[in-house]
Amino acid sequence: MSRLATIWAIFQGLLLEALPFLLIGVLIAGLARWIAPGGRWLQRLPSQPLLAPLTGAALGFALPACECGNVPVARRLLAGGAPLGSALGFLFAAPVLNPIVLASTWAAFPDQPWLLAARPTAALLLALALSALLQQWPEVQLLEPALLEERRLSQPLAEVGLLERRSGLVGAAPVTAPPTPERPNLATVLEHSSREFLDLAGLLVLGSALAAVVQTLLPRTWLLAVGGAPTISVLSLMLMAVVVSVCSSVDAFLALGFAAQITPGALLAFLVLGPVVDLKLLGLFGVVLKPRAIALTAAGACVVVLLIGQWVNLWLL
Amino acid sequence: MGESLAALIRPLALALWGAVLLVSTLTSRLELLLRGVFHPLVGLSGVVLLAIALQQALQGRRERHWNRSWALSGLLAIAVLLLPPNPSFSDLASNRNSDLGSDVELDFLLPPGQRSLTDWVRLLRSQPDPQLYNGDPVRISGFVLTQPDGPPQLGRLLVRCCLADATPIGLPVRWPSGFSAQPDQWLAIEGRMGVDNVAGQQRSVVLPERIRTIPRPAKPLEP
Repeated sequence: MSRLATIWAIFQGLLLEALPFLLIGVLIAGLARWIAPGGRWLQRLPSQPLLAPLTGAALGFALPACECGNVPVARRLLAGGAPLGSALGFLFAAPVLNPIVLASTWAAFPDQPWLLAARPTAALLLALALSALLQQWPEVQLLEPALLEERRLSQPLAEVGLLERRSGLVGAAPVTAPPTPERPNLATVLEHSSREFLDLAGLLVLGSALAAVVQTLLPRTWLLAVGGAPTISVLSLMLMAVVVSVCSSVDAFLALGFAAQITPGALLAFLVLGPVVDLKLLGLFGVVLKPRAIALTAAGACVVVLLIGQWVNLWLL
Repeated sequence: MGESLAALIRPLALALWGAVLLVSTLTSRLELLLRGVFHPLVGLSGVVLLAIALQQALQGRRERHWNRSWALSGLLAIAVLLLPPNPSFSDLASNRNSDLGSDVELDFLLPPGQRSLTDWVRLLRSQPDPQLYNGDPVRISGFVLTQPDGPPQLGRLLVRCCLADATPIGLPVRWPSGFSAQPDQWLAIEGRMGVDNVAGQQRSVVLPERIRTIPRPAKPLEP
């Protein structure tokens, strides 16, 4: 019984910490829809393999949100017709490359300046690698079907044929929400944002519940391989990041609790992997990516983070 | 009822989640869950959600379909409102490593009688010689922290971000004969610091003169 009470409390803790950031993300996405309804500027973002994810990552500085908040923003970028590379770069790098997260990392580790440089650099490398990896597949196999249809409507006809658009002229029934070129009124934007918030909050609830159950039942000592074993400590902290599922805006404070017991590579791995892959995010990613693309993201991120962690350990130990 | 409820479900679910955030901030719930610096953000988000819910209700745009997942999330919000968090501190502690993290630095030292349990633990980590504190007065409070090997200690949970990173710390207590400390029980202890011999090594131990059962304090987590 006391276990259940503990799970319920941790669940509430994770949820209450994440909901404000989800709200910020949804409101930013709504604001973008209101300011630039047609999303023309989105389509003008660069699409070169290297420049696209870099631009997406840089957008993190303009749109401060943690990983829960930036899922709706990334979805909005994709629906508005932004190049795939830019949107993926934003999705994977912005949870770290934003002022709030960098400030909290600095507040937690003022005596470790290397971490303040290493965390954003590693996050950027991870975003570049994941974006290059996912772009090996065509969009049809990557993106969630409803998002793909919305996206097709925003893309110029030169890129997508009428058959692919399914917009009513040819093919199936028209999709329900064609983009309106004129500015929607604020009430409509709020209505859309409130739907999006409730949809994503439902997914966040599922993810938080899963994370709360796993971390209550799994002894923390299993997740914290104490000592200087370079590879094992990186792997165990990666598992910890996936299970604990706290937002990137607060995870540096959490890491402070065990920073002294672990290798620097493991500390960096925890701070870089958590914002991209964790149990709480599984449901949220479902509104952007197909399940196999989520699996590929998780596997790719783990390999890249393990390599980065190992390299840092070689360099600093 | 179906149609009228379907029309209201979105503003209702939004308002319920807004109420969860606001009520948690205004009552002492967040003290149990999150570090203080995030409390204003949670409260403000609650106000924004309630305002959006009100605006959407007044606008009265009807939903075409009954949305089951919104209804479920609304029910869950009611459950969160009705069932405040009440974690077992011993359960949380038993699952975690007891460690103060990076090297402990003490900025200033309070007189012995004013030190909290956390102050004592930090002091004993930085200056572990038990003879330094022998006979010092002790007035501390904490919960009964069961130990896998040995008698229970008096403990506290340290939190840096949220309940997910709660770290237990504890002080050994020489419990009076006949006193049985129950897990999760909150106690206030007045007494003196003494010295124990454990496996040939000296360590500080609290020698209680007066033990009182107290309710869980409003701010049970320490930074």
